[in-house]
Amino acid sequence: MSPSLKLPSSSGGQHDPAKEDRLDLTTMPPVIGMSAVGVGQIRKPSWGVSLPTQYSLIGVLLIAPAVLIFALVIAYPLAEAIYLSFFSIYTPTLQGEWVGLANYRAMLSTREFWAALGTNIVWTIGTLVLQVVIGVAIALLLNLNFYFRSLARSLILFPYFVSTVVAVLVWRWMFNDSYGILNRALVVSGLSDMPLDWLGAMPNAMISIILVGAWKYFPFVVIAVLARLQTIPEELYEAARIDGANVWSRFWDVTLPQLREVLIVIVLLRTIWDFKEFDLIYLLTGGGPIAATQTLPLLVYKQAFGMNAMGMASTYAIGIMVVLVTFMVLYLQRTRRGSELQ
Amino acid sequence: MNRKKDSSPSAVSRRGLLQGAAGAIGMSAALSAFRSVRPALAADVTLRWWSPQSAPAQLEAYKYQIAQFEAAHPGIKVAFEPTSDETYPVQMAAAFASGEVPDIVTHIPSFSVASYYAKGLVAQFDDVIKAIGIDKYYDGANKTYEAGDGHFTGTGIGNTAADNLWIRKDLMEKAGIDKIPETWDELRAAAKKMQGGGIYGAPLPFAKNSATSFVVTTFIHGAGGQLFTPDLQVAIDSEATANALEFYSSMRELCPPGATGYSWGEMITGFVSGATATGYYAGRVLANVNKQNPDIADKITCVQYPTISANVQKTTLNDFPSVFIPKATKNLEAAKQFAAFLFMPEGYIKQLLAAPGHVLPVLRTIAEDPAYMSDPIIKKYPKEVEQMTVNAAKGYNMGFESPKHKPNTKSVDIIASDVLSEMVQRVALNGEDKKMVIGDTAKKLEEIMKS
Repeated sequence: MSPSLKLPSSSGGQHDPAKEDRLDLTTMPPVIGMSAVGVGQIRKPSWGVSLPTQYSLIGVLLIAPAVLIFALVIAYPLAEAIYLSFFSIYTPTLQGEWVGLANYRAMLSTREFWAALGTNIVWTIGTLVLQVVIGVAIALLLNLNFYFRSLARSLILFPYFVSTVVAVLVWRWMFNDSYGILNRALVVSGLSDMPLDWLGAMPNAMISIILVGAWKYFPFVVIAVLARLQTIPEELYEAARIDGANVWSRFWDVTLPQLREVLIVIVLLRTIWDFKEFDLIYLLTGGGPIAATQTLPLLVYKQAFGMNAMGMASTYAIGIMVVLVTFMVLYLQRTRRGSELQ
Repeated sequence: MNRKKDSSPSAVSRRGLLQGAAGAIGMSAALSAFRSVRPALAADVTLRWWSPQSAPAQLEAYKYQIAQFEAAHPGIKVAFEPTSDETYPVQMAAAFASGEVPDIVTHIPSFSVASYYAKGLVAQFDDVIKAIGIDKYYDGANKTYEAGDGHFTGTGIGNTAADNLWIRKDLMEKAGIDKIPETWDELRAAAKKMQGGGIYGAPLPFAKNSATSFVVTTFIHGAGGQLFTPDLQVAIDSEATANALEFYSSMRELCPPGATGYSWGEMITGFVSGATATGYYAGRVLANVNKQNPDIADKITCVQYPTISANVQKTTLNDFPSVFIPKATKNLEAAKQFAAFLFMPEGYIKQLLAAPGHVLPVLRTIAEDPAYMSDPIIKKYPKEVEQMTVNAAKGYNMGFESPKHKPNTKSVDIIASDVLSEMVQRVALNGEDKKMVIGDTAKKLEEIMKS
């Protein structure tokens, strides 16, 4: 006999073996918003609403909290930003006037926007390349067997988990011209007669923020790549060894192809995150010297609170969003294609 | 069906417990809601106090003033929240925009208060000044707080002579310099002679920040120029500005490499630590040198910063540290009471002496008070303190360039925009053509004035 679900009978009548194999919905206590309906009574209206409609309503009810939260934390701010971008608004008072597309025309015609976009691209590519190269290299090392491997795997995550403000303070201390360890090392070792201006001159400032960014975020690459490395079948390496492949060939022909999918996802995600990076760059250089490290997020901040032009800041923010949406679409396409292949 | 009611404490069902908890949360929420709509009572008031002046000794003094005030006004609490000279414009902008304003703000420049008042963001301060006692102030002490409508926007909590030339007498002697520099040429030559052995000539800032903007403004004035005409037309595009930028740029090689990131903190540390032979700062140097580097405490002095030539009259940058109350405060009366209380002699003197010679008294009665005059730092450097006090009282700032100038209510926007410091960076660091950069800056200032 197939399993049956015995439900309490409100009538307390005789047990009917013929009904034993089926669920008797007529005896179930009513569910919220739904009257008890028997099998074969699907079209029977309750409160004048058919069962499929009731199911739909329940569905709507269940999804409503998520939709509400989405609307509050994503849709509303987005709509507000788009709305504000059509105004000239003084930040402290939030008073302003409708200017239509003037902010967009100003954004596209100003050299500052294109310079910031260019800086944004240089920073994103520079730090991303370093993060991936260092991340993959460290992940390969951590995939080997050695003493204290677990400890090393834990410690390597430290930069990623430490607060950006703390990390930047430490780096600023190290970059300091008077007492920073980097300049001290340069002078003592004889590599330089004078301390270097790491954050106030170009190209030092850009190199410095790229290095600090790579240091801060490479552990993310390590985590993701290490997880993938541990799932590569050992048989592939054995086959490669039998074919006479050396270490480099095994990396190039076995490991890298196996990492390809995860690296694409990492690159897309980190591109999005690095592109909108604000705190690390702002705290290190403030966008200087002049505007040499001023990325688009810093430009948004400058417009909103430096120039008190909230409307213009919103326009720049929409500009960033357009760029990020492009990456997001690429990411979604990639993940969809990945799941289709599986 | 009869259900026996179990009254034992342990017999609470899970459902009952949950219902109870839900009921308690509901009740608590209802009470909170009631509290939030109830008119604020004295017992509910917590005043938020913002200030960029938050050195440890000053925090101690504030703590004392807060404790005294809270004891005298049961039910009113005061929470101090530090801000900074570099970030207060953006913090204030965000606070005003969100409506979550502090109840009282102190020590930010008077021109910022004027800017906020002009936008309708600041409460009138007349009755606080009356409560403090208008006859106790130095003559004209509140001039920079007079609004066009006849009301006061705030009041000064002190004066600051911000642009003194601090100099090491021992290094001067060692370098064979027998006279404290009075002109830029003399200063540059002296700094060059004193530079060496790990000591730089000066700690001038070359960063994109308010410190650089203030310094270049004083240099423009020191060259005989102005940012604006008395009726607030942009006047920066002048020979004086070009001269000021030339001098500023020429000092780059006499400043530490990291001066491209310097703000006020690094400027004072540079001189106090002995890393630079000269300094550009207010009176806080006195207390800091005595505490942090007493070896040089007897070897320092200060004068008004040199100008391009003896023909240009020396002036002093005074940011007129203020007290004001944002209009959107929910605790206006309590904030006014606290604002007036800050000037009660005992607490006010403690506050001033937390940084002796740095924030100078605006009340004549305090400056003459033996409790103030007996401070060891003030007694040790009477000439320097008196000179700073006198010069600061005749001082100026961006919102008040001269007695002939109209109050410039866009000054805070100019500072926050960094157009002046960017001008310095373009010339001094990038080596761009001075005239072209000054022309660009003039256009940007015009845009800000029109906004």
